[in-house]
Amino acid sequence: MRSITLATLTAALLGTAAQAHYGMIIPSDPMLEQDEGREIDLTLSFSHPFEDLGMTLDRPVSFGMTHDGTRTDLLDALTETEVMGEAGFGLTQRLERPGTYIFTMEPQPYWEPAEDAFIIHYTKTYVSAYGEDEGWDSELGLKTEIVPLSKPFGLWSGNVFQGIVKLDGEPVPYAEVEVEYYNEDLSAQAPSDLMITQTVKADADGVFTYAAPQSGWWGFAALNTADYTLPQDGEDKAVELGAVIWVHFEEWMTE
Amino acid sequence: MRKLLIALAVVAAWPAIAHQLNVFASVDGTDVVVEAKFSSGKVPQVGEVRVYDATDALLVTLPLTGEETLRFPLDPVAAQQGLRIEVNTGEGHEDYWILTPDDIAAGQTN
Repeated sequence: MRSITLATLTAALLGTAAQAHYGMIIPSDPMLEQDEGREIDLTLSFSHPFEDLGMTLDRPVSFGMTHDGTRTDLLDALTETEVMGEAGFGLTQRLERPGTYIFTMEPQPYWEPAEDAFIIHYTKTYVSAYGEDEGWDSELGLKTEIVPLSKPFGLWSGNVFQGIVKLDGEPVPYAEVEVEYYNEDLSAQAPSDLMITQTVKADADGVFTYAAPQSGWWGFAALNTADYTLPQDGEDKAVELGAVIWVHFEEWMTE
Repeated sequence: MRKLLIALAVVAAWPAIAHQLNVFASVDGTDVVVEAKFSSGKVPQVGEVRVYDATDALLVTLPLTGEETLRFPLDPVAAQQGLRIEVNTGEGHEDYWILTPDDIAAGQTN
């Protein structure tokens, strides 16, 4: 009841219908330093990040962590929690060694009646541990993914983020990439619905570029239609495959 | 524990530099294992490892050997309070790793 009320109220205040859906993996710290401990917290959700509206995330098909080329299955470590007022998952994860840790989630197909299609967002985010960044540019071989060309952490606000959109391991020419800010405290205001979810297109090599105007978490979702369908109510329905990456931009700091 | 980390971090604060040296240490049973490499991925060929206890007393100094790891026996008494391991490869390239009592205990049971 609380979540419905909050969600409805938020939508009403923003004066708009909810925008893009995003799979989300948000760590408590994108760059863990040794004097900050040895663990991070992560929350997994399926949400409208700019509007801070949650949706139900069913237990994912898979969730894991890749470090130095080795993947660790963490699906059983997930605990149920509430994210943006709706069902999500969380965990606390120890990072044993320096380097880049890549967290990935494949959710269950989400049936979206309004779009008459299923949505599957292959979602990932990156955490560097103890001052080392090795492995930040590795490709995981997901069904679809954004392979970073910019290091996906340690970016200043105003820096550009670049990535290659891949589907089945191949670049997707002129792929459409939706970009949205995680407006966690609802402080950001959009003068137009067009600015809640911005859109950029990749070039002929699948490379896209975006400059974040504000520090915080930014989600990039490259959307393509799968070459298969899934059944719903006795009919074959299209499947939207999203390659989602969450990138944190840091605030410019002075003494 | 927090005081130890803060104290050791203050003592070992270095200026940021290009071609950064990264140091990591862990415990493998009864040994401390030190790993040092530059941000380029290269392993330093020369340099010095200094090991301090929680009171900032120097316990031992060891030369780097050019290998990816350097091992030395864990002092069981000093281990109870934690260790600070500094690596200096010259030319202003220095870094440190703090082995907390929890880190040490975790490595001893692996």
